[in-house]
Amino acid sequence: MGKHKVTFHPSDRHIFVDEGENLLQAAMEAGIHINASCGGNATCGKCKVKIVGGAVASPMHAELSDAEYADGYRLACLSTVTGDVDVDIPLESQVDKSVLALKGDRHAAPYLLSPKDIFQLVQGWDVDPTVFKRYVELDPPTLNDNVSDLTRLTHAIHRQHGINGISSDFRMIMKLSRLLRKADWKVTVTLVQTRKGYKLINVEAGDNRQQNYSIVLDIGTTTIFGQILNLNECKVAACPDGACDGATVFAMAEASDYNPQISYGEDVITRIVYSQKPGGLKKMQETVVSTINGIIDELLKMSRIDRSLISHLVVAGNTTMTQLLLGIDPKYIREAPYVPTANLIPPVRAVHLGINVGDHVHVYLFPLVASYVGGDIVAGILGSGIFQREALTLYMDIGTNGEIVIGNKDWLASVSCSAGPAFEGAGIKFGMRATRGAIEEVSINPRTCEPMILTIGRVKPIGICGSGLIDAVAELLEAGIIDQKGKFHQNLPTKRVRKGEDGYEYVLAYKNETRIQNDIALTEIDIENLIRTKGSIYAGCKVLLKSVGLGFKDLDQIIIAGGFGRHLDLEKAIFIGLLPEIDARKFIFVGNGSLLGARLLSFSKELLKETERIALMMTNLELSNHTGFMDEFMAAMFLPHTDASAFPRVQERLRARREAA
Amino acid sequence: MAFAIPKTTYTGKIKEVVLGKGPKAITVGGETSYPFHLFEGEMPHPPRIAIEVYDTAPDDWSAAALEPYRDVLSDPVAWAKKAAAYGADLIALQLVSTDPNGLNTPSDQATETAKKVAAAVDIPVIVNGSGSPEKDADLLRKVAEACDGMNLVVGPVVVENYKQIGAGAIAYKHTVAANSPIDINLAKQLNILLGNLGVPDGQVIVDPTTGGLGYGIEYTYSVMERDRMAALTQQDERLQFPIICDLGKEIWKTKEAKAEDSPLMGNAAKRGILMEAITAQLLLLAGADVLIMRHPEAIRLVRGMITDLMA
Repeated sequence: MGKHKVTFHPSDRHIFVDEGENLLQAAMEAGIHINASCGGNATCGKCKVKIVGGAVASPMHAELSDAEYADGYRLACLSTVTGDVDVDIPLESQVDKSVLALKGDRHAAPYLLSPKDIFQLVQGWDVDPTVFKRYVELDPPTLNDNVSDLTRLTHAIHRQHGINGISSDFRMIMKLSRLLRKADWKVTVTLVQTRKGYKLINVEAGDNRQQNYSIVLDIGTTTIFGQILNLNECKVAACPDGACDGATVFAMAEASDYNPQISYGEDVITRIVYSQKPGGLKKMQETVVSTINGIIDELLKMSRIDRSLISHLVVAGNTTMTQLLLGIDPKYIREAPYVPTANLIPPVRAVHLGINVGDHVHVYLFPLVASYVGGDIVAGILGSGIFQREALTLYMDIGTNGEIVIGNKDWLASVSCSAGPAFEGAGIKFGMRATRGAIEEVSINPRTCEPMILTIGRVKPIGICGSGLIDAVAELLEAGIIDQKGKFHQNLPTKRVRKGEDGYEYVLAYKNETRIQNDIALTEIDIENLIRTKGSIYAGCKVLLKSVGLGFKDLDQIIIAGGFGRHLDLEKAIFIGLLPEIDARKFIFVGNGSLLGARLLSFSKELLKETERIALMMTNLELSNHTGFMDEFMAAMFLPHTDASAFPRVQERLRARREAA
Repeated sequence: MAFAIPKTTYTGKIKEVVLGKGPKAITVGGETSYPFHLFEGEMPHPPRIAIEVYDTAPDDWSAAALEPYRDVLSDPVAWAKKAAAYGADLIALQLVSTDPNGLNTPSDQATETAKKVAAAVDIPVIVNGSGSPEKDADLLRKVAEACDGMNLVVGPVVVENYKQIGAGAIAYKHTVAANSPIDINLAKQLNILLGNLGVPDGQVIVDPTTGGLGYGIEYTYSVMERDRMAALTQQDERLQFPIICDLGKEIWKTKEAKAEDSPLMGNAAKRGILMEAITAQLLLLAGADVLIMRHPEAIRLVRGMITDLMA
């Protein structure tokens, strides 16, 4: 499929996009501002552009008169690129060329990063799931051949598939005799590789090999994510009704929800404290399992996969979340010298935890490193392939706890810093997870202060997710609407900056443009939370690097994981000082890092050993008693940073912007 | 072989800031070495001392603190003249009565006081608000306007009100005392913000927040020390500003400065004076360019020290 050249006038910026790309999305990617406040839902009518050369597929719309349509005017959000095209941006959307010239050249370097998957990140692994199915046909017993049903079955597996030394799960034995006869001695067995060999965990009638699924879960402090994997095809199961064209989300069986333990405390410490109350631990375990069950229900429903076809669960979570899920008392995680109960936890039967799947299903838990470096980060290191690379890599998992790892295939060092859930939408007035209706991309015209917003699913907005927040704060700063401390300037020529009930705020979308009964605004408190979060993560990186005698410039690669959205706008993340100002080509975005590793482990059992090696190899640096961290944190609580010399390009843009004003 | 004193190499210079107008205007800053390291660099302007004047008669001062000003306590203008007679380099008018949690004197009334005091003396004047960010924003903007062109120092300017007060300082040409809560990064951030706003570098002086002896002086000392290190040896341009320390009020409110004569604690007056002088001395060694002090005797002791160290 060829790329089409989209050129925007009068700035003459261009970008190459795939056939069928939405024109408003193309403009956003090119760094071109076009007013749009309905999220790309074709209701506000503000994204009017004029096609002056080439063609797009674009329908008529009530906001366009017949004369305008005949003249080449179109709504960008309704237009699909079908060939090379020249687009005129109307005056009310235009941004001064001088301002535009300061933005990164998005044609030259990829600034809008989409998640990379394990196939691109990790080399040389064989598709060989831990849990697999085999079809076997047994000879019925006779008086001469009356060995037990189980022996008959294991012999048949050995004969037909060369698999030896099989142990059996008791629950499978209970149903074996009737099932074999009912199935006329033709069955599908589910085997799982354990440390001690193969274990026979399930028997189904007939040939059911095509239906082998597993579920991977990331138990985060704030958010729980799940996916159903098709183990035969090595990918996330597809949803029958989904498509992945930018407008339709949920093409794949993935679902998420907030961790309901939040109501007992927003961070791990308060949850550990709660777990010490009578019945507290049980309560925490039950609430998280009920949400996991909810997510599993949703996944099964959207993928139309039967519950009985799920044969495996892989869970990655931080140390506290892992222990709370298992009902293991986390008391000593919080007390110096901060010791977890176990780093390597054996597989646990899912039903024993209350998880609603077949009783043969076992839960695999990612090994833990330390009290504040958990299985989620081990999964991230596995899934992002750092453990097999020479290149010096910094891995940042931006979650409620910012977890940062540096190293390569030979050594790994980590820190964990309490970052806060801002990027997951918590603690933000109109924050939400990156699901349908979340504002995911934002541009603001510095002259008129009018926004351009795009939502996930291109529907009217209902809130803002992490990627939208990064964009919004960066754009507010660049447009001179907030200062470097994140405070709003007053007396700006716009009604969008106003004093609300939580102090000053910027209105991203007015009530009638949203799907909620409220204006969607970003408040000064939201921005403060975001600055605290990004400051903590940047400071954590600085301290970790310093402690191994390195700086950002020494890095070959930075891998960013986090649940803030479908994309990460690198330029904007650097602009607010979340990420260091280094060569854009060194960054890789992987989305949810824990799920990445959990998927890989589900597809390839040989990596189980690697996972344990990663956990053992990682040296953790404790920040809670680190003298330099607080200082770095205060220095990072500024946009982009108190140390201007670390962000020369951002500084230059801010200076030029002040001079233009 | 003769012993050579190891010397620090400096790469930065503190900016010079002129305070006040006319023949008695003074310049502070300009250092190219650590405080009093005259063997390594220059300290072209000696540190200066401002004497406090209050806009309302204090009701909680110790007898020792009241004694030198007993006859002028309820007349800020007379107080300022008396302070000048005691040899103050500057007057520091403390408009504490404007505090919304106290007398809440209206800004306009306090502005009149400031205007009268500034007109009554020929030495530079510092005008401090009560420390309420909102009230100070209003008050100091009005003071700036009423005293157009007199080049006052107005403060404390904090991150919450720097825009309003900074704008007044730009328009009416005054110097701002940029105040941050004992943190080098926050100090630098405020300096950056003031620069972004357009306040010229020659109109900024840094107030790092001062703790009294026994009440956190070590924090102030360490932040000021790091500030000077960053400014002079690490080319941290946004920290190369003179430093002002408002210490008189911190000392004289302590339990030790207020306690009566007693066999254990000794003479009350001497105790308070020495505490103020020692605090001032420490702050000078840490890098202060302007000290706001209270007791004439403490000031005399500190002047002696400055003269000795500058010789």
